[in-house]
Amino acid sequence: MRHVIGRLLAGGTLTVLLLASVLHAQEFKIGSKVVQVHGFGTQGFIHTNGNNWLTMNTSGVGSGAITDFGLNMGMQISPNLRIAGQFYDRKLGKLGNWEPLMDWAMLDYHPKSWLGFRVGKVKTVLGLFTDTQDMDFANTFALMPQSVYPIDLRDATIAHEGGDIYGKERLPHKLGAIAYTAYGGRRSDSMHSGYPYLLSSFGIQLTSLSGPVFGGDFRWKTPVRGLLVGVSRLNERITGIGMSNVGAGGVAIPMSSYNEHSKHDWTNQYYGQYTANRWHAESEYRRYVRDQMIANGTVESLVDVRGWYMSGGFRVCKWFEAGSYYSHYRNVNALNVSPNGTVSSDYAARDFDKVVAGKVTVNQYMTVKVEGHFMSGYANQPYPNGYYTTVNPNGFANNTNALVVRTGFSF
Amino acid sequence: MKKLVYALLIAASASIFIAQAQAQVIVIANPGVKATEISKSDLRDVFTGSATSLKDGSRVVPILLKAGTTNEEFLQAYIGKSDSAYRASWRSLVFSGQASMPKSLDTEVAVVDFVAHNTGAIGYISKATPHAGVKVLAVR
Repeated sequence: MRHVIGRLLAGGTLTVLLLASVLHAQEFKIGSKVVQVHGFGTQGFIHTNGNNWLTMNTSGVGSGAITDFGLNMGMQISPNLRIAGQFYDRKLGKLGNWEPLMDWAMLDYHPKSWLGFRVGKVKTVLGLFTDTQDMDFANTFALMPQSVYPIDLRDATIAHEGGDIYGKERLPHKLGAIAYTAYGGRRSDSMHSGYPYLLSSFGIQLTSLSGPVFGGDFRWKTPVRGLLVGVSRLNERITGIGMSNVGAGGVAIPMSSYNEHSKHDWTNQYYGQYTANRWHAESEYRRYVRDQMIANGTVESLVDVRGWYMSGGFRVCKWFEAGSYYSHYRNVNALNVSPNGTVSSDYAARDFDKVVAGKVTVNQYMTVKVEGHFMSGYANQPYPNGYYTTVNPNGFANNTNALVVRTGFSF
Repeated sequence: MKKLVYALLIAASASIFIAQAQAQVIVIANPGVKATEISKSDLRDVFTGSATSLKDGSRVVPILLKAGTTNEEFLQAYIGKSDSAYRASWRSLVFSGQASMPKSLDTEVAVVDFVAHNTGAIGYISKATPHAGVKVLAVR
């Protein structure tokens, strides 16, 4: 029943978005205040050789089960005070499942350029693109570098319920400008996200995955025109609660309660971006350490992901942009903590992805992207990164090539 | 050598064209804004949502033109983006909760009228458009 309601909501909202984009109906009034309405959506298609990818049956003819959309409303109450929120829904293979989500909803008080406050459910600032990763129209690539922005784990970093303090300030002596964000609150993942889905393949059904988070971001717009550098930090203590019918050593047991909790969970991210005329280039490094006591606290599962990428793009003409990136993912602990105790292949601990892409801007509302991925490795355990045994029941191929086509609209 | 001369001629023509474009577009502000001039980098920051105030502390609100030659010239000269890319960057700010979309008006006359009557408003028009009631900011 919940799925039916979700699909009806999804279908209805998508129709509204399409109509709204055609009609350009973008604002209405409450009293004397204007409420802005904006939206975005994408539809993709992925074909792979080698492995099935991102929980879709992408090998064979391919899969079009990659759809998302958002509906945004905001109102400026006074020059310093704003209220805004966004509804988001997606289907990504076996993930998302058309479960409608309040993506974010907050009150923003910004009395000074160097001091502002956001309270509510707020998008998390982590590196260059965590808070803008869904905005397909603004990015060169159909899929962001998966080593740093894994689309199957979007929920893990996208937003927190709590508050931010933020600000920007110009530096004297033409030293550029700085911006900061400090935040704290609570993260709560959808049960249709990558990690709960991975656990379900081991007979574990989570009912909640959440916990306190705090962190910050500091970025410097340098005196070199177009050059931005920055650093982010995220700390978490995540608890998973659910049911399991698998005991120690994989033995079937009667359904019983399951829990897991963080021993350590943190992310460091360093980044730089350069833009000049028609060019842009970015690079980021993310280290994610997740030391989790799983199976009711009896087993320690250590994940130490070192991911980085280098990307670039060139706007050939008004309507066409070409881009490329290299994305490097490695879980340096994967060989030591293989769940069944066997030593994994190096391919199971890595995903090296070379990408070439083309983006066509049809008009200011619509884009079409085509890109090729040439991947080596299938990093999948004990923490997922795009590859899952449930959609690859016969084991993994070492290499996967993918063709990704994605079209999006926004208004 | 010939190729070098051609390249220099093209570069010189392009720079003259850009300079002329910049001269055709003027930046206007509500008379309540204290500043009399604005740097190119500050102008870019205000119109890309990176800043909400000028160096003197005046809070400003950018007003855009929906389309047209003046709009294209302004974006080309001061922002360095096409209209599609420019509006996409604003939508990124909106969808990530960082800003509201600036008001976009159909005509330059409407921009002048809005800027004249709204505290902190800052916009751009062609030099030829009558602009009584607003102040012109010199762009350095």
